[in-house]
Amino acid sequence: MNALIAVILGAVTVYLTYTRYARRIDRNVIQSDPKRATPATLYMDGVDFMPTNRNILFGYHFKSIAAAGPIVGAIVAATLWGWLPAMFWLIGGVAFMGWVSDYSAIVMSVRNEGHSLSAVAHRLVSPRTRTILFLFIFFYLLLVAGAFVGIMAQVMESQPRTHLGMILLVLMGLLLGQMLYRWRVGLIPATVVTVGVTLAAIMMGGASEGFFKGFNEAFNSLTGGNPLVTYFDPTLANFKGAEAKIMPSLLFWAVAISLFCYAGSVLPIWRMAQPVVYVGFWITALAMLLGLGGAALGTITKPEVAQFQIPMFKGWNPQMGPAGVMPLWPMLFVTIACGAISGWHALFGSVGTARQIENEADMLPVGAGSMLAEFLLGLLALLAISVGAKGSPVAAFANGLGGFISVWGFPVQYAVSLAFAAFIVIVLVVTQLLFRVMRVTLTEWLGEIIPPLRNQHFSSFISIALAILLVMTGTWIYLWQLFGAANQLMAALSLLLVTVWLVSVGKNWVYAGIPMILMYVTTVASVLVTAYNLYFNVYVPNLEAGRMLPSIGSGLMVLVAILLIFAAILIGIDGFRAFFKYLGRPAPSAQTAPAKG
Amino acid sequence: MHSANDLTSKRRWQAVKDFFYGMTGYEFVHHARQMRHEAESIFLMVTLGDLVGIPVMPPVYALRLLPFVAPEIAAWKRQLARRKEFWEKEEYDLHGI
Repeated sequence: MNALIAVILGAVTVYLTYTRYARRIDRNVIQSDPKRATPATLYMDGVDFMPTNRNILFGYHFKSIAAAGPIVGAIVAATLWGWLPAMFWLIGGVAFMGWVSDYSAIVMSVRNEGHSLSAVAHRLVSPRTRTILFLFIFFYLLLVAGAFVGIMAQVMESQPRTHLGMILLVLMGLLLGQMLYRWRVGLIPATVVTVGVTLAAIMMGGASEGFFKGFNEAFNSLTGGNPLVTYFDPTLANFKGAEAKIMPSLLFWAVAISLFCYAGSVLPIWRMAQPVVYVGFWITALAMLLGLGGAALGTITKPEVAQFQIPMFKGWNPQMGPAGVMPLWPMLFVTIACGAISGWHALFGSVGTARQIENEADMLPVGAGSMLAEFLLGLLALLAISVGAKGSPVAAFANGLGGFISVWGFPVQYAVSLAFAAFIVIVLVVTQLLFRVMRVTLTEWLGEIIPPLRNQHFSSFISIALAILLVMTGTWIYLWQLFGAANQLMAALSLLLVTVWLVSVGKNWVYAGIPMILMYVTTVASVLVTAYNLYFNVYVPNLEAGRMLPSIGSGLMVLVAILLIFAAILIGIDGFRAFFKYLGRPAPSAQTAPAKG
Repeated sequence: MHSANDLTSKRRWQAVKDFFYGMTGYEFVHHARQMRHEAESIFLMVTLGDLVGIPVMPPVYALRLLPFVAPEIAAWKRQLARRKEFWEKEEYDLHGI
């Protein structure tokens, strides 16, 4: 197997899914009507409801949903089960479920006056569903924040070549905000300056490596080279289990990342979060574009960088030793989340994108098209890890992507620096945004009961502290899988809402209903497996060894897992009840907009 | 006269440009619109009294402002009356997971 065949396979998947399946559903089931007025045209307020050109909206929606999820998931899954199951799920998932979820959430919102998923749930299912959805969102965010902070601190500690680029990324983001919103500099010159300086700093990462290595060592010498915390991690040493150590330098980088996220959470959005994301976007987009092109071209011009090197298949239930059970079903289907199907896309699509759809004919290219493009991002990550195969999963990904980029003539050292930076940037910029939404969700959820939580600094601090507590369990893979399960469960819940809505308006619900049942059962099962692994392989051994911090962290994760299952069951019961109610007696359709003209 | 091929390739090029604009500059425009809306909301609040006949500002200023305010009233009413989720103000922050 080589990268070119995989790229062709990906392109064929996109073509067939879009033309042979998605378009038929759009035409025959949804019956999108270009003459029907959309909420954007009916309720145009110049802010949220704003008719927008389909190509602009495609770019906007794609950029909004594409981030760390498809990359990290593919890396972990290929490491655990081999590249074939990962590729199978990416292709099967996006073809039959992923685009369905993204597209249908937008359709449902457009046909329901631009209402969000939770508002539709409130109307069609029950008021309780809306409340549970909020609780669900908070824990989902907590899990993803913990997973991202954990992997980022590990990579930054072990890769001093990335530090200069990251520091400059933050500074250039701040400068960009100042240039655009205060000095009124044009977007193009501001982009050239800030992205150019950040890129230069990333390329010079190798030159500054020695300095930051010395910095880490100086920090570690504060404790005489001894770790701050030691704990048992069953996923280390190729799943044989080993003592993990938290060194002072790791804590330093975790605190540095937390401070960055805190600033991103409390400062005005234009001052930091938005411009940092923008600069980061260019770095990642550049690496991904060069990588995708290099993957296809490299097969012919530089075959050694494009040959798959990791095992094709490692087994249905690879032997994980003390790490417990890791059966391909259901765990693969939550380990790769965003590249195949993602609940977060549906949530964003219903709140942000649907209100800007100018014409019903745009719902398919924007919703399904963006998801199919995200699938290609996941596929690229899978290719990079499959050809890399050296070092830790993240290092293998960077080596693989660096190899693809080097096809264009860049020295390998610089290409790998860019690939490492692309990975960290994409995770870093997302994490600051996560804490921002967590703060708002926490305030809304508990602000009335615990008044101090209405203070943005206090709620940000609590959110960050909870995420760091999860990181301290050291069992990053379980944390990632729990996040994946929450994400897929949200996709199942959004598909459940879509199914209820379809049946309520008398349309064929099967295309959304079957993926919903599959994802619902799979994700609940995966949460149970992860809770089992966490309890018996992390919580109990660390508790018996008297290590309180990892015991508290893993105990908290088990608690979150139980809460997720509880919330999913409640929403499921309400959803199925509503489904059967409408199945027997189609409810009056949501107030559909009158035709234009 | 442009040939059909010229027009098609122009349209395709325009579509590519729009896509990149959507990925890059559009979010700044979107955010600028939100910021303008917040400023306009305050402006409308201040001048609303004069609009409905209750003088809360010296009329000479209000009357000069009203022509600028009037076209925004319909959109402002829709914004104000719409039921919103609590996270919508942070909608931008949902990006990128």
